[in-house]
Amino acid sequence: MTAKPDPLIHPITRLSICGLLAAGAEWVEFAALRDAAGISDSVLSKQSRVLEDAGYVQVRKGAVGRRPRTWFRLTAEGRHAVEDHLAWLAQLEEAVSARARDVLHAEPLRGDRDEPRRVPSH
Amino acid sequence: MRDVVRDPAALERLRVQRSRLADRMRPPWWYPTGTAIVWAMVFAGPFSSRYLPQGDFWAIVAAAVAVASLLQWGLVRATGVKVCLRNRPARIAALVVIIAAIVTESLLIERGLLVAAIVVAAFGVVAEVVVQQAALREFREVMRGGGATA
Repeated sequence: MTAKPDPLIHPITRLSICGLLAAGAEWVEFAALRDAAGISDSVLSKQSRVLEDAGYVQVRKGAVGRRPRTWFRLTAEGRHAVEDHLAWLAQLEEAVSARARDVLHAEPLRGDRDEPRRVPSH
Repeated sequence: MRDVVRDPAALERLRVQRSRLADRMRPPWWYPTGTAIVWAMVFAGPFSSRYLPQGDFWAIVAAAVAVASLLQWGLVRATGVKVCLRNRPARIAALVVIIAAIVTESLLIERGLLVAAIVVAAFGVVAEVVVQQAALREFREVMRGGGATA
């Protein structure tokens, strides 16, 4: 495996936040990110702060009328880390499914093929 | 906190979440309508430059720019997602339609074929709206696939 996992993005919630921000949008608003990730306001606030402190996410705060609006986007460093982490996950997924395929198509052990099934005698 | 290795459905869940975010990018009903109005203003250019005083022509241009900016702001506010469409084929197609329609309109107006010029302008508006909607649809598909990090 060439891609490396990132311990900061590894938890599912942070993976969701980063994965959504890396999907192609320039900026994503708090409510849109919360609804898409299916997490609560407090979880998003807490995890986004962790990502912001790590320099992975840039936060922009503004207001529309009296309503505060918070926008997120990935920094260049964050994007690089997410790309690497998702590549690692894809490799992991591929490795797991390849192993599952191997188990399914594995040759039966010698002697097993034609051996009649034993029926327990009573 | 749970992590992805202990949850094999994590990547699948991320795909579902991206799909949910992409669905938010579906523009509201007023967006294509507003876009059609902006393009109608653009394709009215050859008419207004010929039949209206110079000042009125520039007033129409300013109004078109203002409505386009307002539409963009409204779309970002309604969807909660700010995007920069970097779809090169769509941009080229839009440019080709603008040039072709405006040149054809000008030629038809010069020859006094006003109805034909209006029909060309209408086709131009429809073509531009279709191109823009196609670009947005393609962006949603890219988003579903994970953008650059698919």
